[in-house]
Amino acid sequence: MKMPLTFMLNNQQTTLEVDARQTLLEVLRNQGGMTSVHRSCEEGECGACTVLLNEEPVNACLVLAASVQGATVMTSEGLVKNGKPHPLMKAFTDELGIQCGFCTPGMLMNAYALINRAGDNLLTDQVIRKTLEGNLCRCTGYVNIIKSVHTAQKAKLAGEWW
Amino acid sequence: MKKREERLILGKGQYADDLEFFNMAHLVFVGSPHAHARIVSINIEKALALPGVMRVITGKEVAAHTRPLPVQANFTSKGWTWRLADVYAIPADKVRWHGEPVAAVVAEDEETARKAADLVEVAYEVLPLAGDLRTALAPEAPKVYDDWEDNKQVHLVFDFGDPDKAFAMADQVLQVFNREDRVTGVPIEPRGCVGMYDTKNDTLEMWGSFQTPFLSRHNIAATLGMPEAKVKINAVDIGGAFGLKIHAWKENVVALASKLTGRPVKWMEPHRDFMATGPHQRDVFWDGKIAFKNDGTLLGLKATVYHDLGVESTNKGIAALSIFPACSSPTNMYKWVGMHVEGIGTVTNKSFYCAYRGYGKDKGIKFIEAAINQVAKKLNTTPEAIRMKNFIQPDEFPYHQINNYVLDSGDYPALLNKAIEMADLEGFRKRKKELAGQGRYLGIGLVTAIEPAGVAVPNCQMGGITEARVLITPDGSVEVHSDRTEIGQGAEISHATIVADILGMDMAHIHVKRVTSDFIGQGPLSSRGAVYPASAVAKAAKLLRKKVVQCAGSLMKIPADQVVLEKGYIYPTDAPEKKISYAQFADKMFFFPGPRGLDPEILKAHDHLLDVTTTWYSPTTPESGSSYTSFCVSADIAVVKVDIDTGVTQIVKYVHVHDAGTIINAQVVDGQIQGGIVQGIGEALYEGLNYDENGQLMNTSFSNYLIPTAVEAPDIEIAHLETPSPFSETGSKGMGEAPIIGAKAVILDAIEDALSDFGIRVNDAPATPEKVRKWIRQATKKNR
Amino acid sequence: MPDYSAGNNAMKNSVMKNFIGSRAMPDLVYHSPKEMKDLLALVDAHGTSARVVAGCTDFIPSVRTGRWCFDQELNLIDISKMPVLNEIEKTDDVLKIGAGVSLTRILESPEVKAHCPVLAQAVEQMASLQVRNTATMGGNICMASPAADTVPPLLVSEAWVVIRDAGGEHKVLLTDFFTGPGRSVLTRGQVLTHICIPVKKSNEAAWFQKIGTRTAVIISVVSAAVRVSVNNGICETARISLGSVAPTPVRVSEAEQFLAGKPLDDQVIAECARMAAHAISPISDLRSSKEYRKDVAQTLVKRSILACREALK
Repeated sequence: MKMPLTFMLNNQQTTLEVDARQTLLEVLRNQGGMTSVHRSCEEGECGACTVLLNEEPVNACLVLAASVQGATVMTSEGLVKNGKPHPLMKAFTDELGIQCGFCTPGMLMNAYALINRAGDNLLTDQVIRKTLEGNLCRCTGYVNIIKSVHTAQKAKLAGEWW
Repeated sequence: MKKREERLILGKGQYADDLEFFNMAHLVFVGSPHAHARIVSINIEKALALPGVMRVITGKEVAAHTRPLPVQANFTSKGWTWRLADVYAIPADKVRWHGEPVAAVVAEDEETARKAADLVEVAYEVLPLAGDLRTALAPEAPKVYDDWEDNKQVHLVFDFGDPDKAFAMADQVLQVFNREDRVTGVPIEPRGCVGMYDTKNDTLEMWGSFQTPFLSRHNIAATLGMPEAKVKINAVDIGGAFGLKIHAWKENVVALASKLTGRPVKWMEPHRDFMATGPHQRDVFWDGKIAFKNDGTLLGLKATVYHDLGVESTNKGIAALSIFPACSSPTNMYKWVGMHVEGIGTVTNKSFYCAYRGYGKDKGIKFIEAAINQVAKKLNTTPEAIRMKNFIQPDEFPYHQINNYVLDSGDYPALLNKAIEMADLEGFRKRKKELAGQGRYLGIGLVTAIEPAGVAVPNCQMGGITEARVLITPDGSVEVHSDRTEIGQGAEISHATIVADILGMDMAHIHVKRVTSDFIGQGPLSSRGAVYPASAVAKAAKLLRKKVVQCAGSLMKIPADQVVLEKGYIYPTDAPEKKISYAQFADKMFFFPGPRGLDPEILKAHDHLLDVTTTWYSPTTPESGSSYTSFCVSADIAVVKVDIDTGVTQIVKYVHVHDAGTIINAQVVDGQIQGGIVQGIGEALYEGLNYDENGQLMNTSFSNYLIPTAVEAPDIEIAHLETPSPFSETGSKGMGEAPIIGAKAVILDAIEDALSDFGIRVNDAPATPEKVRKWIRQATKKNR
Repeated sequence: MPDYSAGNNAMKNSVMKNFIGSRAMPDLVYHSPKEMKDLLALVDAHGTSARVVAGCTDFIPSVRTGRWCFDQELNLIDISKMPVLNEIEKTDDVLKIGAGVSLTRILESPEVKAHCPVLAQAVEQMASLQVRNTATMGGNICMASPAADTVPPLLVSEAWVVIRDAGGEHKVLLTDFFTGPGRSVLTRGQVLTHICIPVKKSNEAAWFQKIGTRTAVIISVVSAAVRVSVNNGICETARISLGSVAPTPVRVSEAEQFLAGKPLDDQVIAECARMAAHAISPISDLRSSKEYRKDVAQTLVKRSILACREALK
C-alpha cells in the first residue's frame, strides 16, 4: 500500500511516498538519501542502523516507515552543521573510536542521545558500556569508543555542543 | 590529520550498499536448505512470472557461461595429499552445505528479487551427511566430492630440527589435547558489490567490498573466461574484513548476471548469508606430546592437528593452505631441538574454510602455549619461569628457527617482565589464595606469542607480490598507490604518515588512493600491510625523495646534499629564506619552465619525472625459505573471576605488552590490539558455529553467534616495546593478528588457573558458562 | 527477541523452504487506530488477514527469517499509538500497564520501581536499549516465548492480562494464558490490552536473575523470579517461576509450598532450590543442554531467594 509519509528528518519537514511494507531503514537510505544509516542484520541485532526516533535510539530496521508519521527522526547526517563535524564526531575521530566506520553512525546516535540524557552527570564507563550494548563493533574492542564518548561529554560540558 | 576518518564520520562513506548506478538491477541468492543433497530439478517459472524479475540464474547456466573456479593454492607436487575440487560458482549437480546457492534471482529491485527467491522451486534428493570430521574420516563415509577417494583433502607432514633426538633427550613427555570450535569473523558489514559489464567493449568493472582487488580480478576473469586486462575491480569503503573478504566467489555470479542482462547488477549479502555461506575458521583438534627436561628446558613436540575444513568448493586450496602455518607455528618464541607435526584437513558438509585473523599461525601458538603451561604445572614452576628459561635471547637475532622462520628482532624477556610488572602478577596470585578460602575463584593467565607476519608462499596466490607507486602531481600534492586496501586497519593513515615523513610534507597534501586491481599485489592479508606494502611505499617515497632533492638542487643551483625538505617546503641548508613550496617546485618541474629548466644530465638519465613505481620483497624469504618476514611479539596476562555455580567468567584485568618494531601510528596500533583482543575473548568465551545432526547451521545471526558487546569487553592496558625490524623498510612489523592469538589463549589459561582446585584442563574453546559448569561437575564427581 | 535459528524451518524432506538470508516484507495495509472501538472494529473486520503489532521488534525478524509467511496482503494493526494503551496507572492495589507501553518506559517508571521492582529488574536485562525503546511487554507476552523475560516476574507477582474482543473485556490470569511455545489462549478477534499486577506489599520481596551464554543482549538459558512474603522471620507465601525450562514459563508449586511456613535459613533455601530444579524437565537446544538448565536453575532459585531474604532484612 502506497502512502504519503510526513515527518521531521534531521530538522527538515519531509514528505515522501512510501510503501507500507518498507522499513524506516529502507526509506531513510533509499528515499531520504541518508546512507549513513547502515544496513547489516535487518533484525535489530547489530545496531548499525540506529537512528533517533523522537530523540530516542531505535533500530531503523525494526521500525515500519508508516509508523513514523508526524514523528521526529534524526540520523548522523543531522549532527553535521554547515559541513562541520559535530563535537561528538570530532571526539570519535580524535580518539580513533572509528576503524572500518560501519558501526560508527549508529554508535554516534546512541551516544548522542546518552550524552544529552546525562545532562551534567558525568558518565561512567559502566553506563556507557551498558547503553551501547546494542551497537556491535567488531574492530575497536570498544575501548576507543568509550574514550570518545567521555571526550564528547567533556566537550558538551565545556559548552561545545549542538 | 585523519582524512578518511573525517570523511566517514560525516556520513560520507561509500560502502558497497551505498553504490547506485543508473538502471541498476539487484541480485539475491537462493540457498539450499539441505546440507548434502542431489539437485533433482529446479523450476524457475513462478519466480520469473513475478513482475520485475528479469532472470534466474541456475547452476546449469553458470556451467554454460563460466569456467570452474580457478585454483588458488596447489601443493600436489610435494608428494603430500592435496586434493582440489572441480566446481563452479553455483553447482548444477549437488549441494554440499546448508545455504549453498542453487540459483540467483535478478530483478528490478531487491524486494522483488527476495520475493522471487522464495518462489524458486528446487527438488532435492537428500544424501547422507559427512557432517563432521569424525564422520567424514570414517570408512564408507558419504563422500563430499564424488570423484575423490575419500574425504581427506590434505595430509602434510613436517619434521623440523631433530624430533627423535628431542624425545631421546627428554626427562619427561606430556600428552596434550586441545580443541577449538568453528568460528567466523563477522565484520558488521557483509559482502557486497556491483558488477557492470560493458557490452560495447566487452569489459567488466566491479565495485565492492573487495579486500584484495588484484587477486579478485584474476579469479573473476579466469572464471568468466575474460582477459584480465578487460576486468577492473575497485575496492570501496569496506566495513571490516579480517580476511573474510579476500575471496571472490559469489561475486562471479554477480559479474555473470551483469553480462547476461546487460545491466549493472548489485548484490548486497544479508548477514545471515554471510554467516551460513561465508568463510569459517578454526574447528581443529590437537593431539600432541611435548618433550622436556626436569629443569624446564623444552625439547620437542610430536603432534597432529586435525582440521574440519568444510567444503573445498569456493577458494580452491586456500583453506588447506592454512594448515601450513598451523603446523609450523608451535615453535613460537622458544628454542627447540626438534618437532614432528602432521596436519590433516578433511572436507565435510559445512561452509568453507578460509582466512580469518590468525589463519592457522594462531592455532600452533595457542596449542604450544597451553602445552607449555601444562609443563610448568607438571614441574611445579611458574608459567613465566619456564618461558624465561626457553626464550630466544636478545643477542641471538636474527634467529634461524628450526622451522626456517628467521625471527627478526626482539627482547622477549623484557617484554614478559614488563607485562608481569604491569599486571601485578604477584599481587593477584596472593589475592587468589586469599579468595580461595572464601569460595571465590580468581585465575591468572599468562601467555607469550609471536605473530609471523607478511606472508610469501610459493605455489599459491599469496606469493608475496606487491607494487607501490608514489608520485608528485603538478599542483605539488602526492598520490600514493598500493595494494593495501583500507579495511579499517589504518592503511591510509599509515601510508600517509610514512610518505609525509620521508618527503618532508604535510599529511594534508598526501592522497592515499583507493585500491583497484590496477595495482599489483595480494593486498592486506597475513598482517602484511606494515611489511610488504608499507615497505614498498616507503621505498618508492625514498626513491622519489632522491629525485626531488636532485631536481631541486638543479633548480636552486646547489649541491643535492644541501637541499632540505621540511614541512612542505624545499630550501638550501644555508638559506631557509629561499624556500619554495612543493606546489611551486612541482609547477617548475612540470610546466614553467618544465624539464628544460633542469640540468641536462638529469634529463639524459631520465630522472626528471616525479613518479616512482617499485616493488618490495622480503630480504629473508629467498634464502631461508621463511614464509614470513617480521615477527612481532606480545605478552598477555589476564585475570578472571569464575562463578563456579553458574560457570560464568568475568574478566577482571587485561594486560598486553607488544613489540611490533617501529610504530608508525600509535593510535592505529592500539586500535588493532584492542579490537583483536576482544575478538580473541569472543572466541575464548562465546563464539562457536554449531551444525545440528542434519547439517543445519544453527548460529546464523548475531542473536546466537555471540560476539562480545561493550558490556563484556574489558578495559585493556597496553604497553609497547619498539625493537625495529631490520628487514622491513620502516622497521615496522606486521601486527594485525597478534592480539587475537594471545587473547584467546590467555583467557582459557586464566580460567584453568581459576579452577586449579578442581584440576580441570580448559582445552575446549569456547569456555561457555555451560561448559565450565560441566567440567566442574565432572571434576567434583571424580574427586568424590 | 525470540531465537529464529535457520534450523527452525529444517525438515528432512525435499520440498523445504529455500535458504534465503533475508526475506521480503509482505504487502501490507497499515492501520494505526487511536481509539479502542476503532481497534476492535479493525480486528473484527480483517479477521485472519490481520496482525496486531506494537513495537514490531518480533514481527519484522519473523518475516525476514521466513518464520512467518503471508501469501496475501496483510492488515497490520499498530496499537502503539493508542493513548489508552500507553499508560501506566496505579489504582488501589493494582499496577495496570497498557500493552503499547515500551519496555524503556516500564524500566524508567517510578510506579513500576515502587510497586513491582522485580519487573524493572528483568526488563533491564532484556534486549538492547534500541529494542527496549520500541518493544512492549504486551508483545513479549503475546509472542509466548518460553524465554520471555518479563513473564517469570509477572507470574510470581500473580499478574493477569486484560483481553478485549467484540464480547467485551476478559481477565485471564497469566498462569492460564500460555498454552505452548508461541501459543496462548488468545484467539482471532482478540487483543491483549493491559497487564495488571498486584502491587508489592511491605513484607514482600521479589528478585529476578537470568543466565545466558553472554552477559548483554542475550536470550535466557534460564531465568528465575522469586517472590516471598515474610512474617516474623517465617516465609508466609512463596512464588517461584522459571523461564526457558519448559514449553512456557512455569511456576514450581512444590518448591513454593515447601518454602511456605518455614524460616528462610540456608538449608531450607537450598532444599527449596533443589526441589525447584527437580520439578522441571527442560529440553536441550542450541542455547543450552537440559542438564545445564536444571543445574543452573537451582543456583538461580537459590540466589534469588537469598536476595529476597537480604532485601527483607
